[in-house]
Formats: sequence, C-alpha cells, structure tokens
Amino acid sequence: MTFEFPKSLDDLPISSPKWVGKPVNRVEDPQLVTGKTEFIDNITLPGMVHCAILHSPHAHARIKSIDMSRAAALLGVVATLTGEDAERWSRPMYTTPQGWGGYVLATDKVRFVGEPVAAVAATSRYIAEDALELIDVEYEPIDPIVDAFSAAQPGSPKVFEEHDDNIMYQRVFTWGEVDESFQKADHVYKESFRWNRVGANPLETFGVISEWDLVDDTLTCRGAFQTASFMAMGRAATFRLPSNKVRFIAQPHGGSFGGKGGGRGTDITLMLSRKAAGRPVKWIEDRMEYLSSGGSQAWDRHYEASIAVNDDGTVTALRVKLLDDMGATAEGFGATGAVKPMASFTGCYAIPNAEYDLTLVATNKLPASPYRGMGPPPHNFVLEQMMDIAARDLGLDPAEMRRRNFIPADQFPYIIASGNEYDSGEYEAALDKVLEMAGYEQLRREQEEARAQGRHVGIGVVSTIEPGVFDWNAYTVIGTQGIGIPEGVTVAIDTMGKITARVGFALEGQGQYTVVTQLLAEYFGVELEDVRVVLADNLSAPPNFGPGGSRLGVAITGAVLGAAQRLTEKLTKVAAKLFEVQPEDVELLDGMLRVKSVPESQLSVANAAAIMLNRSDMLPPDVDPSPQATFAWTAPGRVEPDEQGRVKSYLTAANACHLVMVEVDPDTGQVEILKYYIADDCGTRLNPANVEGMVQGAVAQGVGATLLEEYVYDDDGQLLTASFMDYLLPTIHEVPFPEKAALVTPSPFTPLGAKGAGESAIHTTPAAIMCAINDALLPLGVRAKEVPASPNRLWKLIQGASG
Amino acid sequence: MAAKRDIRLTVNGVAYEATVEPRMTLVDMLRGELGLTGTHVGCEHGVCGACTVLMDGRAVRSCIMLAVQADGADFMTIEGLASREGELHPIQQAFIEERGLQCGFCTPGFMMSILELLQETPDPTDDEIKDALGGAICRCTGYESILKSVRSAAKKLLAPAS
Ligand code: FES
Ligand code: FES
Repeated sequence: MTFEFPKSLDDLPISSPKWVGKPVNRVEDPQLVTGKTEFIDNITLPGMVHCAILHSPHAHARIKSIDMSRAAALLGVVATLTGEDAERWSRPMYTTPQGWGGYVLATDKVRFVGEPVAAVAATSRYIAEDALELIDVEYEPIDPIVDAFSAAQPGSPKVFEEHDDNIMYQRVFTWGEVDESFQKADHVYKESFRWNRVGANPLETFGVISEWDLVDDTLTCRGAFQTASFMAMGRAATFRLPSNKVRFIAQPHGGSFGGKGGGRGTDITLMLSRKAAGRPVKWIEDRMEYLSSGGSQAWDRHYEASIAVNDDGTVTALRVKLLDDMGATAEGFGATGAVKPMASFTGCYAIPNAEYDLTLVATNKLPASPYRGMGPPPHNFVLEQMMDIAARDLGLDPAEMRRRNFIPADQFPYIIASGNEYDSGEYEAALDKVLEMAGYEQLRREQEEARAQGRHVGIGVVSTIEPGVFDWNAYTVIGTQGIGIPEGVTVAIDTMGKITARVGFALEGQGQYTVVTQLLAEYFGVELEDVRVVLADNLSAPPNFGPGGSRLGVAITGAVLGAAQRLTEKLTKVAAKLFEVQPEDVELLDGMLRVKSVPESQLSVANAAAIMLNRSDMLPPDVDPSPQATFAWTAPGRVEPDEQGRVKSYLTAANACHLVMVEVDPDTGQVEILKYYIADDCGTRLNPANVEGMVQGAVAQGVGATLLEEYVYDDDGQLLTASFMDYLLPTIHEVPFPEKAALVTPSPFTPLGAKGAGESAIHTTPAAIMCAINDALLPLGVRAKEVPASPNRLWKLIQGASG
Repeated sequence: MAAKRDIRLTVNGVAYEATVEPRMTLVDMLRGELGLTGTHVGCEHGVCGACTVLMDGRAVRSCIMLAVQADGADFMTIEGLASREGELHPIQQAFIEERGLQCGFCTPGFMMSILELLQETPDPTDDEIKDALGGAICRCTGYESILKSVRSAAKKLLAPAS
C-alpha cells in the first residue's frame, strides 16, 4: 500500500479546517499551569533510595585508590559504586567517533573536572551527599591539556594513552573546484573566529529513577529522557541485556534543547539499584553538576574561513577550517554538532564550491553535548561575517550582497555544494519583507545621524537556513549507523467514539501533543476534547525517536496522517458493508463515512468504530474488530553519503531573515539591541502560536550565546562558571521582542507542507547580532571576532583601537 | 547531625506540622515532606526563581530558605492558585491563552511572583512587570509571552466580575 500524504490543509477530509493551522490553546497547559505535571522529581516509589555522585576535582589525574568503607558505614547508606563495578558490569560508553571514552565511573584516570568517580545510594539525598564526604580518593595529578591548539600538536600529552594523539577525527571534505575558484576569484577574504562554549541549560536538570530487577534481570527507568527508546537501546548494549528487558518511561520534562544529557546518571543509578537488591534509585542532577558534568556544554570552536568573490559580489567558493574542542570524550553525540553544518554549509547562497577542513580534538574539559541547532549557529556566524567583510570591501550594502547570492526561488529543490537538498524557499521575499518592516533606508539614515553624533550604532541583516527533519545518514561520516528514523503513532477509537493516540515521546515544551490532537480532531471531524494523547514506554510504543534535529513536528504529522488513513480504510469497509456498496464508493468527510453518490447514506466515524467493536455480525469478513491503526513515518529518499560526505540528509530547509540594530557603548562594552525584525518561513504552520513561541525562545537563546553565556575554564582545567551566578542566562531585561512576520513556502516533500521549525532563530540571532556589532564598530576600525561579545571583551577590543 | 525540630505552618490554607532537620531547605520540605511538588527546583542556589512561593504574601525563594525558618508562617504555592473546585485563576488562564509557557517548568515560580506583583500593583506598566520578573529565568519562551500573560491577567483581575 502506498501512501499519498495530504500536501496541504485543503487535502484533509474536511470542508474547512477548524483546528490545524490555528493557534489553538495547548492541551498540555492546564496540567502545567497548576503544577500537576509529573516531572521526574515529583515521583516517589516504594523503597526508593537517593543517589549522589562524587565528581573529580581534577582535570587530569591518575586514580591511585578509592576507599568507600567510611561512606558505606554511614547510617542510611544502602549501596556504593565505583569504576570497578562499572568495569565488571558494563561496557565502556558508546562514542562518536568510536573509541574515545571510558566507563561511566572513572577507572584508571579522570579526564575532566566533574567526571563521576564514585556514587552512593542512601535513604535520603542529604545522607547520600554526606556520604560523599566520607569517600577517600587518592589522585596523582597529571598536567591538564586545556588548550585546543596545543592539544592538536603532534607530541602533545595525551588524554587517552591508547591513542596516538588527541585527534579524535580529521578530514577535509572538498566539494567542487575549490582551489581553482580561489585562484580565479577577483577577491579573496580570509579571517579567523572564535566561538566559546555555550550550552542548553533547560530549567529542569536531568533526573532518573532506575530499577534493576535481579530476579528476571529487567531494567526499568523513569526519567527526563529526550529520546527514551534510543536511550533504552543504548542501555541494553551497555549492560549486555536482551533489549526487551529494558523498559524506559519518559516523564514530561522541563526542556531539553538537545542538552539534557543523562546517559551516565542512568547507568550509575541502574548499577546502584543492582547493588541495592533492586530498590529504585533516584538521581536528580543539581544545577552545578549539570553545568560542570552534565549535557551542558557545546561548540568550543576555532575557525578559519575564506571566501572567493567576484567584483559583482558573487561568491564562488567558501572554505572553512574548524578546530572543535570536544573535551575529554566523544560520548553523548556532541561531535554531530561539527558535522551538521554540512547540511546547510553555504547557507542561503548559491555558492557552488566549498571545502570543510574539520578536526575534532580531545582536551581535559567536559565532553561536548548537542545543543539546539546542533552546530550550524557558530558556522552561520562565521559565514555571515565573511559575507559582510566582502560586502564592505566591495562597497555593497550587506542586504544587496546577500540578495546577489541567494539561491533563486525557481531553482528548488536545490542541491547545495555539500550535498544536502533544500526543498523550497523564497529567500528574497523574506529579505524584502524584513527590509520593509524595518524601513531599512530610514534605519540607515538614523544610523548615519547617530554616527554623526559619535554614537556607535550598527545594523546586521542576515538570512539563514534551518535544516529540518534530522536523519542519521547525515552523521555516518563520524560513525553513526542507520538511515531513516521512524516516528510512529497508534490511533485507536473506542466504543464511545473517543480517540486515543499513543506516542513514544514525553512532553518537553514544543506542544507536540497539541499538534497530534489538532490533526486527529481535524481528520475525524471531532472536537479537541474527543482526542487524548498518551505516552507509551519503549516496549509498547510504535517505533519512535522523539524530538531532535527539528524533526518531530513533521515526523509526527506524517505518522498521524498515515495512521488516520489506515484506520479510515477499515472504517470505510464497515460503512460499505452497511450500505451494501463497494469500499471505493465510500469517502470520509467531516467525520462522516458517506456513500459518494448518496450523501444521505452516512455513518459517523464513532458509530463505525462501535460497530466494529460490538457487532461482529456486521463486520466485513476481511476486517478484524479493532478500530486501531499504527503508522510510522520516515523521511523518503534518504541514502548513504558519497565519498565526500555528500547526501540528502535533512528533508526540509526553513529560512529566516533577521535585521538587528544595536548600539555599542564604547565606555562599557555593553551592547544594546535597539531594533529587531524577523521574517520566518518554515512552510505550513500547524499551530502558528507554537512556532512563534519557538522563534522568540530561540532569539533569547541566541542573545544569550552572543552576549552573555560562556563556559570558562582556567589553565588548570577548572571550570570557573559552575553556577548561574557565573554562567549568565538571559533574563527578561536582556531579551528583545522582535517584530515578527511569517512567510509560508510549503515544503513539497512533507505531509501538509510543514518544515522543521524547532531550532529556529538560534541559527540566525548570533550571526545577525555580531554583524550589527561589527557594523557599529566600523568607524573604530576594529572587528569583533569572538563570541560571546561580552562587555569585557568588547571593551578591551575598543580600548585596543583607541589606545 | 543536629536534632530535628518541630515546625508548624500553613500552606494554601491548610495547617501542617512537620519534624525536620535544621538543614532541610524549605523547598525540600514543601516537595518532599508535604508532597506539594508543584513548586520546582531549577538551580538550588537562588538565581532562577523556579522555587518561588509566597510567604506571608511576599515572594521568597524556597531553595535558599530553611524549613525551620518557615515555622509559624503562612504560605501560598502553585497548588493554591486555582480554586479548590479546580477553577483556574486568571493568571493561569492568561498563561494558557497567551502561551506564557512551553515546558512549564518555570511557570509556577513565575506565577507566584506575578501574583505578588498584581496584588501590589494591579495595573503594572511593562517596566514594572520586567522589574518584578527580572530575577527569574525561563529558558523556553524568551519572555515575550510571559509579559503578555501578565498584561492579560491584570486586565482580567481588574475587570468587574461578570
Ligand atoms: S531553584 Fe530556587 S532560585 Fe533556582
Ligand atoms: S517554559 Fe520552560 S523554562 Fe519557562
């Protein structure tokens, strides 16, 4: 059976859409606003004990001995755990690239400050933390390797003795005639940039409750899992257990943004439970643990970039060299962030030739994690600075420079130099929209006036791509496996005609349960209240992955529509038998199964389901009495990459254009955002309020990354920003509220034409703000090349200029 | 370990007695001892505001207070915001309508600060709202919809009951 997915809202079986495409209130919210949602830390199980983890105070040290005896003797301590247990019971952590990790508790040596060394389970969290103070560890410190460039030098001291050096991965990808293009170009521009570590910091840290049933060797974990099924599979491999003995229940969680982490905490609590005779063991990561040893840090990058440009502003080639400091191990898929830029390497531009020289290096810092956007935000910052540098030298307006290089609207689907295919786009229309909203010419005049008064005001105009609908095939170059990521749903109609959808992912904040509800209410012509979405654990859910890589909105839409169509086929047969016609003569419209030629002959979906369940005498012979259907969707047409890593990976390419006006105060280095405009095109908006919320939230994270947030390590590898006093998240005072416009260029490849939209503005905001800052600094003759452009950093830069 | 202490307090109109270690934080008592898990913990060091509750009408951060400091006080937490019959408070309604939340983890804390604000300043300016909420962190929404929620809640509360 082949599926024809509805291409637009008009193709749904309704006369006019009532729910989809409307900003309906979220079904999640009543529970959330009353404090009733079951976050992991709200759960207490009978016999549950609490875990606390001892972390390494050293960046690099050999462990000479660990003595748990005093801790074990403390009243209330139920079990203790060290690397020896991990070695006995588990496999080393899975890493990408492979072979760059150890066990979840350090064995021979520690490789970063915060690395788990030992753990305790006790009757209260207070006692468990007391017990940590009674653990005696003898360390022999080794010189830490903190600087990425030195770490990458031949002969550098090593993070892993078993490797030849600290280079986790090195490869040059060449796409097209790069050398020739640079030789032939009228102009070549070259610059280096630095992006410092930032990260997700969802407001809820990771938490888990694990049980290891010793009688039948089954594991049960409840937790703040972003991808529960995926985590479960990993645990089966780690503990060499049959995968159907590992049950994962995802709790609703307080955000993730890719950086929830949790692999280590899950394994540690599992082994503690095993030691505690199977009692449930709870671990709630505290914020300082999250910042120093959790899924908190991403993108520690040193860039060199060059572009080849002709006199008319056309860019013919782009070269990017990246040294990405991955920290101590390659656990947790942080390396994917360095590969993902290949999905949108040349941005919105038709740059035919490109080269990516990529090196991942190990140092004694926290292993890098994924973070919203997964890697392109720093790459976009670099690319857009280069566009501005070229524009300035050629005397072109930055907006015009971009316009001259945009992929034209009539060229889609368009395959970019690095191999990904963009589905559709109207980049010039988005730019025009932003320029119009901003009153661009007037804004430039205002800037001139401000400059004449000695003020440092600048404007940035930037367009970017958000690759949507992640697929593993994008990452095979660093050792991930598989092509295609199914996302499934089971839809059931009960005897009272109510609809239940079973999914495998928990609430995380994106409003996906609402989207599922909207789609089903629309398809079957019922009210939102008639639909309920429930969570299934990994063993009872249809194949699923969950949120990640801006995929879930599109994927779950495909799944719901597929399941609804399957279910409709069954219901249609029931109606056909009742009306004594052929199934082809029956159609679903507005919740009614009607005989096409005799519209009065109609049966409601609810009644058809009730007949199936309660009247076997009326059941067609080829229909079982089950008004349920399951469908798992995956992106079509995905294959393996070619020898240069080129592949159609991300199915959709959303586009955004941001225009920012800032003022830099030369006396303090403070940046004030004066004006901000956004035109955003993510295709069909299934719930426009969801999308707007994503855009605004991602602007905030972008502002944080560009101006405030930074993980700072000192030369000894000590983290200096291990609290919210030092790692500065944006508050309501720092976040601008841009004027936003929505453009809709539907995707020709996805159900209903929606595009991945979850990462959103974080792709664009840092690049746009940095372009604006550099425009402001232009009269001073300096250029900010390091993110975050914190007051301290900008002030020093400006002082250097005038000094 | 210091001897446990007996304390009495009122939360959402209900009187409680508890026996706690002097070192136990207020939030751990509310959540762990009294089972009022609607108050969340985001940082445990007084920066994020997720744990905000009203103590004798004032917003306090329950992660950096001790339970013993609560002896004799009258508290309001998120569980006390809707009516006992389940009718949502105008602030809650406003958050739903204006999308003042995404993951919802910060929401109870924000709502407590907003309740304090609107009790003192029923018709706040945007600057007053920002000042009242400037010490709290939401990682999801980017704050715009929270600001709108406060404006809308203020309007609802000011409107004569119909
Ligand atoms: S949890 Fe209390 S302020 Fe963050
Ligand atoms: S809604 Fe997620 S932190 Fe505020």
